[in-house]
Amino acid sequence: MADNFSPDSEPTTRTLLRRVLDTADPRTPRRARSTRSGAQRDLLETPSTRRQRSQTKMTARRRSHTAASVDRLARIQASGHLEEQTPRTLLKNIILTAPESSIVKPEAVVKLVPSPQVVQHTRRESSRGSLELQLPELEPPTTLAPGLLAPGRRKQRLRLSEFQQGMDWGHLSQEPRENADASSLTSSLNLTFAMPLQPQSVKRPGLARRPPTRRVVDVGTFLQDLRDTSLAVAPPDTVLEDTQPFSQPLAGHSPSVHHSLPCPSPSGAKEVEGPASRRTWSSGPGLQNNRPGKPAQLLARKVEEVEALAVGFPNISSISGEDGVEPLQNGVGEEAEESMEESMSVREVEKAAEEQGSARAEEPEGHTEVAEAAGSLGSIEAKEPEGSSEDEDPSGRLASPKLAPSTPEFLRTRRLQSPEPAPPPSTAVLPSELPKRLSARIPPRPRIPGSRPRQDPYKAGLNHYAKLFSFYAKMPMEKKAVEMVEKCLDKYFQHLCDDLEVFAAHAGRKTVSPEDLELLLRRQGLVSDQVSLHVLVERHLPLEYRQLLIPCAFSGNSVFPTQ
Amino acid sequence: MALSTTVSQRKMIRRKAPLGFLKRVFKRQKPHLRLKTSSDLLVHLNCLLFVHRLAEESRINACGSKCGIIKKEHVLAAAKVILKKSRG
Repeated sequence: MADNFSPDSEPTTRTLLRRVLDTADPRTPRRARSTRSGAQRDLLETPSTRRQRSQTKMTARRRSHTAASVDRLARIQASGHLEEQTPRTLLKNIILTAPESSIVKPEAVVKLVPSPQVVQHTRRESSRGSLELQLPELEPPTTLAPGLLAPGRRKQRLRLSEFQQGMDWGHLSQEPRENADASSLTSSLNLTFAMPLQPQSVKRPGLARRPPTRRVVDVGTFLQDLRDTSLAVAPPDTVLEDTQPFSQPLAGHSPSVHHSLPCPSPSGAKEVEGPASRRTWSSGPGLQNNRPGKPAQLLARKVEEVEALAVGFPNISSISGEDGVEPLQNGVGEEAEESMEESMSVREVEKAAEEQGSARAEEPEGHTEVAEAAGSLGSIEAKEPEGSSEDEDPSGRLASPKLAPSTPEFLRTRRLQSPEPAPPPSTAVLPSELPKRLSARIPPRPRIPGSRPRQDPYKAGLNHYAKLFSFYAKMPMEKKAVEMVEKCLDKYFQHLCDDLEVFAAHAGRKTVSPEDLELLLRRQGLVSDQVSLHVLVERHLPLEYRQLLIPCAFSGNSVFPTQ
Repeated sequence: MALSTTVSQRKMIRRKAPLGFLKRVFKRQKPHLRLKTSSDLLVHLNCLLFVHRLAEESRINACGSKCGIIKKEHVLAAAKVILKKSRG
């Protein structure tokens, strides 16, 4: 350690810094740890000396800081492996005690140590310093009044920034400062964890942490997609939510889309079909992920967007070429209302689209985006790829008649509005494709017939016990007998719930506890004075459950489960 | 604390109890009530014992009618008896 540094002009700060640098920095894995092992020992010893020095120099406020840090140091020393905190506290102390002198000195230190490691050291230092900077910010709330905190923080920030500037740490220094200025301590806390990465990225500033670049939403393509998909409500939202790049292929269409419901010529659309269909495929899984959690949000946002774009999604039903376009354009405002209708229409559209196999380039694009938004379009989505290869316009128009009966409201309102010939073919195809995709993707849809999802898992659970029945019986059984067993189980569960409710109410509780269960077993005659509950648990349950139910003594004078 | 050290090795329980199913059934029947964690397993135990008794009774009925296969009527007769017993 001492080898790297020439005589220090300021023994306190410099030696501390040196030691801090030499000690292993867990946050910078690139650093070789072997060299630090020796330094760590020193570090453990020095904190005490440093503490003494810092304490003498610090003001009362700082003392409170160090008090916490001292405690931490003590704890750290006891643990023996948290050197990362000691350097930080040390640096903090250093900054507080001798800010003016050593801040710019690190450059000299850098020169003294020709190896690039010094640069890393210094950077790490500053990172640690920035980390520490945030540390004191975190500490004060617990120790000092907020009033005292603010000036201290500012001073610390200034000193640190000085330090960092001295280090020629342009962008990196700004980051911590900005973070430190963040209003919430939590943000600074979060920053501390992220800070260690900075030193590594200093050499490549381009990789430094920066705000994630958000993909600019291509309004044109978005509009086009919206129009294409007849799914009014959900799709628009999903477009916003969707982070997959499938909308990019639509970039070519965007300019036209901007002005009106632009529908590229069928030829152009067909060109895009290939990639579009592929995109829809890829978007499918993404849609599945997005949809379950987002339909509500997406709908809200999409409605706004679509309204702006005057794209009518609900027009899936009105797939008819021009007619579909009209509704699509105007359907935006009504998307929210038509969510349910969409689901119905989507299904029908999906059937229509299937038969006709209309594949419109724009629609697949729109579908991919819209599909994500519209949960109800899952089924339609699945069928979309099939239709991608076929004619767009005629199929779309054919689909519309079928859809018309399903959603008369949409059609009437939409058709009344001025149509745009270009978009219709693409839009018509898209809605049909989108619904197919969406319907296939989102199984857990909020639909009216909720009995089916309820039956299947219920039956599955009963099946589990029916299998156990056949196992216990050790004899072949008829299928009807198994059904009979399931009916009996159903009745049994009802009785069970009633009994448990009575028992819990008798005990004045609203939660069924194991005592109620024991009472039930006792009343059933399963548990008696000869046979206890634990015996039954041991006989019939696997080990993992037994351990959870039967209290057992473990080492350390502890019993699990606690009684 | 002890359980974590002892069960950590074996996470795959061969005869898993359908705790989710049981909780859902209970919630459907009595939405205003709650079920404690341990009582979940005891309910499963109760179901196991019920099914066990039912199977025994059905087997006895089937053997009583000198049948090699458990038929619907055997199960029905057994259910009448066992459900009455399990009423609590």
